[in-house]
Amino acid sequence: MASYDQTEDQQTGYSLFGSKGGVSSRPALEWSEGGDGYSLRIFGDWQVRHVRRIANEIKKLKCGTADAGPKDLIVDMAGLSGLDTAGAMLILDMNELLKSKGFAPKIINAREADQILFELISRHPRERDDVDVKSSMLLNLVRDLGETVLSIGRDIIEITAMIGQVTLSLLGLVIRPWRLRFTSLVHHLEHAGLKAVSIISLICFLIGAVIMQQSVEQLRAYSAEYFSIDMLGILALREVGVLLTSIMIAGRSGAAFTAEIGSMKMREEVDAMRALGIDPVETLIVPRVLALVIALPLLTFIGNIMCLAGGAFIAYQVMNIDLQSFIERLNDGVDIRHFYVGLIKTPFVALIIGIVGTLEGMRVQGSAESLGTHVRASVVKSIFLVIILDAAFAMALTAMGI
Amino acid sequence: MVALETPRLNPIIEVRHLHKQFGAQVVFEDLNLDVYEGEVLGIVGQSGGGKSVLLRCLNGLERYSAGKISFFGQDTAQMSGKDLRHVEARSGLLFQDGALFSALTVLQNIQVPMREHISLPKNIMDELAYLKLALVGLPANAAHKYPSELSGGMRKRAGLARALALDPKIVFLDEPTAGLDPIGANEFDMLIRDLQRTLGLTVFMVTHDLDSIFAICDRVAVLADKRIVRTGTPSELTKDPGHPWIKSYFCGERGRRAQGTAQTTS
Repeated sequence: MASYDQTEDQQTGYSLFGSKGGVSSRPALEWSEGGDGYSLRIFGDWQVRHVRRIANEIKKLKCGTADAGPKDLIVDMAGLSGLDTAGAMLILDMNELLKSKGFAPKIINAREADQILFELISRHPRERDDVDVKSSMLLNLVRDLGETVLSIGRDIIEITAMIGQVTLSLLGLVIRPWRLRFTSLVHHLEHAGLKAVSIISLICFLIGAVIMQQSVEQLRAYSAEYFSIDMLGILALREVGVLLTSIMIAGRSGAAFTAEIGSMKMREEVDAMRALGIDPVETLIVPRVLALVIALPLLTFIGNIMCLAGGAFIAYQVMNIDLQSFIERLNDGVDIRHFYVGLIKTPFVALIIGIVGTLEGMRVQGSAESLGTHVRASVVKSIFLVIILDAAFAMALTAMGI
Repeated sequence: MVALETPRLNPIIEVRHLHKQFGAQVVFEDLNLDVYEGEVLGIVGQSGGGKSVLLRCLNGLERYSAGKISFFGQDTAQMSGKDLRHVEARSGLLFQDGALFSALTVLQNIQVPMREHISLPKNIMDELAYLKLALVGLPANAAHKYPSELSGGMRKRAGLARALALDPKIVFLDEPTAGLDPIGANEFDMLIRDLQRTLGLTVFMVTHDLDSIFAICDRVAVLADKRIVRTGTPSELTKDPGHPWIKSYFCGERGRRAQGTAQTTS
């Protein structure tokens, strides 16, 4: 049972992982100038793992320049104990270097396997295609800025276009309801909607409790803790329920849509659909967007309830207000219009998350890096647009006095 | 034409009583195989018969339920982490579609094993990578392309260049010529044969390419009925199949055509 250090390779005579005897031989060069000419002796393992040492040896070579005419130089490979393509390449490079210094190198004592290796390497012209990567930082900054502005412009156009396409498909569904991919819709309703209920409930409950607690703390100074219920009701129903739900769904489903469609694009599945005459918008995008438009208002409703429940819990703990009184106060202090205001935003939010998510998915190119970039962009863009939408609604509705 | 006759010596890899199943489905059981130094071993078998699974088990990418795999006489299951890395640095693996790292260019892909296992000066690393690129038949301008910009055949060649980056002692190839044009497939055969002769490269090749088998395989192992039913040289298997599947594989129309071509070109 031989250890691989000592196994010998019968083909080339060199050992498998190092020199005979299990000790790696350091690569070395020995230059000698004699009366009968110059000679260079090569020793050791000229293999890829010793390349650094080999390069040093070649650099250290003090051979001077031949003065008159090409001087004959014998390159003796008898002392070589191991050779691979890297080593052979460096030997050939060394010969070229010696030729440029005015020598005429001639290799002797090369084994047959080595000769075949030299021939194999010389057979291939060694062209290179180097790319110059010099550019100034300031120029890069300006270029990045420009590209960002252009890409925002592109985004606006493409999102609008996609809204148009989805709307067309939906209108088509009104006329031809049998073209709806019902199973797909239900699948996404389950994953984007039903499976999100627990996490939405939990975070809304906690935030409701936090808001309630903070309001009580602050209003206590004015002996107005009781009005914290009003504050929670209005905040939760108008803003917090919607925002929390949308951000959670953007992270959960928006990212998932991008990743799903992106992987399909990477594997040419979307192209296969087109080749079979199947419209990807109708098959992939519409069910997802529609599922969100149905699910998000429902999830927001649940979120609102849980937010208020969190507040009720704290109200009981801190102010000893029981549930009955809490609900009565809510009814008196919080108008129903706040609930409608919150809910009216939800279909638009769903549209944003669905379209941005699927659009970014369709933009994924062939690499894993591209997938990561677009998933990230999908989540960031949808959350950003949702918040802008929220602010716009807030300003508009307040101006209208609603 | 069969490659240089190599005297059978110590086996590099010994597989004994290997058993692998996915759930209730048994892929192979009591599988025995030897891979000898310096030989080109072809693995053939039905599609879905477990050839790729066997390849993955040998490379430690799949766990096996029972049996023993030894590299150079040492049981891989008992090897220390350091020894395993030593073995990994000395073996190359070509996946079916190249499995290139999508975020790196072709040149950078080839340099991954170099960076990982040894430290090389940058200019030599580039020179060596360009050499490997040329050896597998890729043009120099492919160096800075990303895998998504390459055709299937070019991806495979780039994968081969990466597998050969450190001049491994044994290289595992999963259907290397599938998808290559006949010129490219022939160049591949010649490259493998040259590397075998010059570096003593051992090749473990899962393949369906009858032309490759007759051109460069020293031995062929047939995976059928959940184990290796026969091993032998391609001509031995043609003359004396001993198993109905082997007969239709080697002696069917394609087999006879491939053999005829191999004989006329040798």
